[in-house]
Amino acid sequence: MSGASDAHADASLSVEGHWQALVTAALLGTDRRDPPEAPGPIADLIADTARSSVSRRMLAQVAAVAAVRRAGVVPGPVLDELAVPDADDRPVCTPAAAERWHHITTSWSVLEDEWTLTLIINGWRIAPELLPALLIRHRSDPVRRARVMVGGGAAAQWLVGHIADLEPRHPSATVSPAALSELPELPIAPELAQMLDWPGAESGAVLAHSIEAGQLGQSHKAMLVNFVARITPTALVDLADVLDSVDPMCPGHGLATVLGDLATTRRRMIDELAR
Amino acid sequence: MLDTLDAVSIGSGSTAWSVEQVASIAPSAAAMTAARPLATPTRWAGLGADAEAVWGSFQGSGAEPYDTMVDHAHLGVSCTCPSRKQPCKHALALLLLWVRGQVADTVVPSSVEAWMQRRATRRTSTAAVAPVEPASAGATDDAVGTDTGDGTDTGAVPVDGDVIGDEQPAPPTPPPTPDRDAARDDRVARMHAGLAELDRWLDDRIRTGLADPSLARYSTWDQLAARLVDAQAGSLANRVRRLAGLVGASPDWHDDVLAELGMLHLLAEAGRRLGTLPAPLADAVATTVGWQVRQADVLAGVPDTDDWLIAGRSDVREDRIEVRRQWLRGATSGRWALVLSFAAYQQSLDTSLPVGASLRADLHRYPGPALRALVGTRYDEPIEGPGAAQVFIDSACSVADGCTEVGTIIAAEPWLDRVPVTVMARLARSGSTWALADATGSLPILDPGTRAFDASVAMLLAVSEGRPVAITAEWTPHGVVPLSIHLPGRTVDIGPRANTSFVSAA
Repeated sequence: MSGASDAHADASLSVEGHWQALVTAALLGTDRRDPPEAPGPIADLIADTARSSVSRRMLAQVAAVAAVRRAGVVPGPVLDELAVPDADDRPVCTPAAAERWHHITTSWSVLEDEWTLTLIINGWRIAPELLPALLIRHRSDPVRRARVMVGGGAAAQWLVGHIADLEPRHPSATVSPAALSELPELPIAPELAQMLDWPGAESGAVLAHSIEAGQLGQSHKAMLVNFVARITPTALVDLADVLDSVDPMCPGHGLATVLGDLATTRRRMIDELAR
Repeated sequence: MLDTLDAVSIGSGSTAWSVEQVASIAPSAAAMTAARPLATPTRWAGLGADAEAVWGSFQGSGAEPYDTMVDHAHLGVSCTCPSRKQPCKHALALLLLWVRGQVADTVVPSSVEAWMQRRATRRTSTAAVAPVEPASAGATDDAVGTDTGDGTDTGAVPVDGDVIGDEQPAPPTPPPTPDRDAARDDRVARMHAGLAELDRWLDDRIRTGLADPSLARYSTWDQLAARLVDAQAGSLANRVRRLAGLVGASPDWHDDVLAELGMLHLLAEAGRRLGTLPAPLADAVATTVGWQVRQADVLAGVPDTDDWLIAGRSDVREDRIEVRRQWLRGATSGRWALVLSFAAYQQSLDTSLPVGASLRADLHRYPGPALRALVGTRYDEPIEGPGAAQVFIDSACSVADGCTEVGTIIAAEPWLDRVPVTVMARLARSGSTWALADATGSLPILDPGTRAFDASVAMLLAVSEGRPVAITAEWTPHGVVPLSIHLPGRTVDIGPRANTSFVSAA
């Protein structure tokens, strides 16, 4: 066995050595440097070019040796194992919750802070396949970054240690515990803010009536989105139902549909992160 | 009247083309770009369509309009314009109008009827054709090249014992048709001339050396690529363009460029000796050089029926086309297959084969030992579940065995750029290079470039946390590209994904 391995290694070295000689000759060109003599097996392969020009013979050699090198793909050296991250006892969030993160970051980014905070509060760990995207996404925002590091646990720290692209842009930024654990304030008009704790059927009825009457329209969308993102979670089911029943012929129907979708998305997000 | 596009067929009797299908027959992305402004009803006269054809007259810059006809049921094109590209931009524009519903059904004019009649007669008389033939100008894969990672599986035994290649009874020779033979001879002659020119060009590079400053000029490569396109060797043209990108790309670029020049020489030589090669090898060379196989002929071949496990996916931009490679593996046969899809700007890639799913379907392989296949009959929707992942976990091999698998395939077709392999390995580091590693050795991961964040490595690291996992990867001469991680119960798709600002769905 050892003899066979040595022979194989010798052959590999021979091919590699010859290839390097070909690269050197090719750098200068055959007009200025003669190509190396082909070793036995390669010479046999290109025997039909014996009477060709120097450059043709060289080209044939290059093709033959390149083919041999590609087909002779061999493993590189055995490499040391990486140290694995410390154990994290928290369960990984469900695939549905992970999928929801993709959904909200695409369609309802106003919910992302709540997704991360709810995950942490309920004792979940961020799914490993989300970590690179979350770390990249929040490189520059110290608060959100800190939440990702908490939600990702030891694995997040370990990952950042291995991939420089995932490091924070402001590593020295400090985050207060309060900022870490509270949802950011969203601008909501006082008339809407007073309804944040109302039952969904009641706040929904007010919104639906105002939309049908044309008092609320696209220009109010940002404010209404903030409202739905912050109303009490128990109101979400009824709110979505009422918004779904807005007259489809009224100009504000599209807005009602969008807000209903947000309410439904938020409710599902909370359900998926419940324990 | 110019010749017909007879090397491509997108399903006979098609009456509901998509824009993507139109793009798929364009000889190049540029042809589609040129066609779009012409796809305006006001620039056309005599527009009409029926169940088999669409026709119209385009008022170009000349005094006479160009009469354009497309047989959309059995793909064929006729246009009186002087373009040598097939289909020309007028035919593509006409199809775009039709696809958008801007061409009304009308009575067929006599000229169109006569043309369709001739085509029908020709189809009847040439019902059986050889599996591989030179491409007509601008056939589907010329746009993106068939040199897109198409592999071989010479070591595998077909499920049903049939062999596609020289062991199969030869199909009956089609009766000679003067026009067809002349067109074919012309294409063959042009391709041979193109390959001879390529070889002369390679010879010049070897004489003057890789340190020649002209290699750093894009025009040096682009002019050659353009001539290869003219010579019907679109796949080689793409290969030349990719090669241009290697110049100066790494400290070892001389090494990489020289190896690729060697592969081009191999293909140029083999392409001119097709008649002397064994049939499967000849098919493989012909396809790699750019000669085309009709999709209809592929689909007419013996199906490879299996539960196909969708192992991985990778998206790569080639010129102005996004190419999606989807690697499938037969649950019963263990054979690999490659399904390609293409998208130009704002078009959609095929999303019907989700990674990690299993699909019971007929696959029809291209002639020769190639891995490339078309999906024929689908017996069910793709099923996503733990089964597929477990098959890959159970069948994953060591790094050393993976090298042997790859080497076996490469030995049969040294010019292959991409070969799939599933290994049980962990992520490890050698200096700044990441690698898939185990106790038998390591496979370096392709460096995405200094400016690119390697999302695949980050995902692999995050999901595996440094432990061994089953990984499907594409081997390339410059390193492997991780495509998916097979975990108990699920598969995570980590392959390079098309930028959604370019394709509309990825």
